[in-house]
Amino acid sequence: MKALCWMGKSKVETLNVADPTLLNPHDAILKITRTAICGSDLHLFDGFIPTMESGDILGHEFMGVVEEVGKEVTNLKRGDRVVIPFTISCGRCFFCRQQMWSACDNTNPNAHLMEAMYGYSGSALFGYSHMMGGYAGGQAQYVRVPFANVGALKIESDLPDEKVLFLSDIFPTGYMAAENANIHEGDTVAIWGCGPVGQFAIASAFMRGAARVIAIDRFPERLDMARSLGAITVDYTQEDVSVLTALKDLTGGMGPDCAIDAVGLESHFNDMQHIYDKVKTALFLETDRPGVLRQAIMAVRKGGTLSIPGVYGGLLDKVPFGAAFGKGIQMRMGQTHMHKYMKPLLERIEKGQIDPTFLISHRITLDEAPKMYEIWRDKKEKVSKIVIDPWAAKAA
Amino acid sequence: MADALKETPHREDLPRMGSAGILRDGRYMAPPADKDGKTWVRTTAQIQASPLDCYELWRNYAAVPLWQEQIKEVRLKGKNSHWVMQTRNGKTIEWDEELMQDEPGKRMAWRTVDGDSYNAGEVIFEQAPGDRGTIVTVLQEFGQGRLKTLADSLLNRNPKQAVIENVRHFKAFMETGEIPRTEGQPHGPRGVSGTIKAEAYGEHIDTPPGLERKAS
Repeated sequence: MKALCWMGKSKVETLNVADPTLLNPHDAILKITRTAICGSDLHLFDGFIPTMESGDILGHEFMGVVEEVGKEVTNLKRGDRVVIPFTISCGRCFFCRQQMWSACDNTNPNAHLMEAMYGYSGSALFGYSHMMGGYAGGQAQYVRVPFANVGALKIESDLPDEKVLFLSDIFPTGYMAAENANIHEGDTVAIWGCGPVGQFAIASAFMRGAARVIAIDRFPERLDMARSLGAITVDYTQEDVSVLTALKDLTGGMGPDCAIDAVGLESHFNDMQHIYDKVKTALFLETDRPGVLRQAIMAVRKGGTLSIPGVYGGLLDKVPFGAAFGKGIQMRMGQTHMHKYMKPLLERIEKGQIDPTFLISHRITLDEAPKMYEIWRDKKEKVSKIVIDPWAAKAA
Repeated sequence: MADALKETPHREDLPRMGSAGILRDGRYMAPPADKDGKTWVRTTAQIQASPLDCYELWRNYAAVPLWQEQIKEVRLKGKNSHWVMQTRNGKTIEWDEELMQDEPGKRMAWRTVDGDSYNAGEVIFEQAPGDRGTIVTVLQEFGQGRLKTLADSLLNRNPKQAVIENVRHFKAFMETGEIPRTEGQPHGPRGVSGTIKAEAYGEHIDTPPGLERKAS
C-alpha cells in the first residue's frame, strides 16, 4: 500500500510499504477513505517530538471501511463505515472506566519511554512517535486499528466522509478545550490560535454558553473564518497591538473569564521573547516555545480558567507561575478523552448544529502530501485544513 | 493493608529472599540496593481484577509463555517447575524452580534450585485501597553483579527491565486479554538511525503473544 512516512526532520515521503495485518485479537484493519493532516503533525515534521524513527507512518485523523476484524471484535463487521479516535484505549483499565480515555494504561508498548519523561504513560496514539506507542498512522491506504471494539465510531447515516472525519481528533479536541475552560453562561472566552482546533473551540465555546469569544491569530484568512463563527478578532502582528491591552479593553479591564491556548509548543511572536525561545530551543536549554502560555496566564482574569489543548512536549522556560498563583487561576489540559465526545458530537453534526466542512481548504492525494506538509508549515495558499483521499490518483 | 506486606524480611526461613517489604509498621521502605553481587528489582501494578484471579493466572505455569518475555515453556518437574527461555542472541537457557510459598489469592515465593539462572522472587496480591482492584507487587533478586547486568542489557535484556515489563504485560493481559504490540506492522525503511533508536527503545525484544499465541 501507499503510506506517508516520516524520514527525518522536515522530510516526509509517500512510499510503498507492506499492508497491515491483524496482530492482536481486538484489532481491525481499515481501508482508509479519508484522512487529514493535523496541526500537531507539524510538531513531528519540525522535529520537536522525540522518539520518531525513520520509516514511521504518520497520520492520526482518519476514517474508513472495516476490511477485517480480529476474533475478539464482535461489534464491528466487514463493510462498516467508522471514524477512529486518534487515542487508543483499552476500555478496561481504571482510567478508561473513569472516562479518562487518553490516560489508558494498556495500549502503549513503549510505556517505559513515556514513564521516563512524564512519570507515567498515557494512552498510545496513532502515528505520533515511539514514546506514544510507535503505532503506524493513517496517512495511508490501510491501517491496523488496535482495540477497534472500543474506539471505532460507526457512521450509520449517509453523512459524507468530510462531515464526520474531524470527529477523529480536532472537533472533540476543540470541544474538550471549551469544556475544560469551565465556561459559564455569559462568559467571555479568549482563544489563542485560529487553526482547526481553535476554530472548533470557538464554535464549541458558543455551544457551551459563551457570550463573547475573542480570537487571536495573525493570518487574515483564519481571522476571517473566526469572525464568520461570531468571534471578535485580534491580529497580534498589527502595529501597536498588545494582546494584553486588547483583552483588557474588550472586557472592561477585567480580563477574559476563560482562556484557551490552542497553539502549543511552537508559538510565534514578533518580539524578543521569540528570539529568546528560538535560541534556547536550538541549544536544547528548553524544548518548547511557550509564548502563548505565558501570555494566556497573564491575560486571564483573577480566578479564571486556562484550558490548554495545544500540545506541549517537554521543559518550558520563564512561565509566570507567580501570576498563575497570584490570581488563583485554574489550569486544565491534556490529550483529548476522545471516546467520551465522539458520539455526542456526531449527534450535533447529524442535527445540523455544525458542519465541520467549513474548515477544509485543500483536498489532495497521498502523492501530493509531502509538498502539502511544507505549505501547511509555511501557511501558504491560505491553507486551513488539508484532507487526503488516499485512493485518488490525482488532485480532485 | 494485607499482612503480607508487614512481614519483616527473612522472618521465614527463606535465606535468599526478602519480603516485598514496601511497608513496615506504617513506614515506606525503599527497595533493596544492588550490592554484593546481587541485583534487585521491585515493581508493582494496580489491576482491575480480584486478587484470586490475578493469583490464578500467575500460578498457571502453562500460560506463562503467553505473558512473560522470552519464556518458551514452563513444565512441572516433580515438585518443581522447569523453565525454558530463549534469549535474544538465540541461546536457550533452562532452570528449575522450587515454589517455596503458595498462598492462593495472596502470595507466591520461589527460587531457582538448578540450571542456568540464579534468581529468587516473591509476588504479592492484595486488595487495593478503596476497592480499586488488586495491587500486584513483585520483588525479585538475581544472583549477578553489575557487570553481568550490564552485559545482559547490551546483548540481551536487562533483567530488572524484564521483570518491570513482565508485570506490565501481566496487567494488560489480565485486564484486556491481550498485550499491546507493534511488531509486524508496516513501516518505511528504518535506515541506520531508525534501527539504532528501535534498539535503544527496547523494541528488539519480542512482545509476548498474549492470546494470539500459535500452538508450537
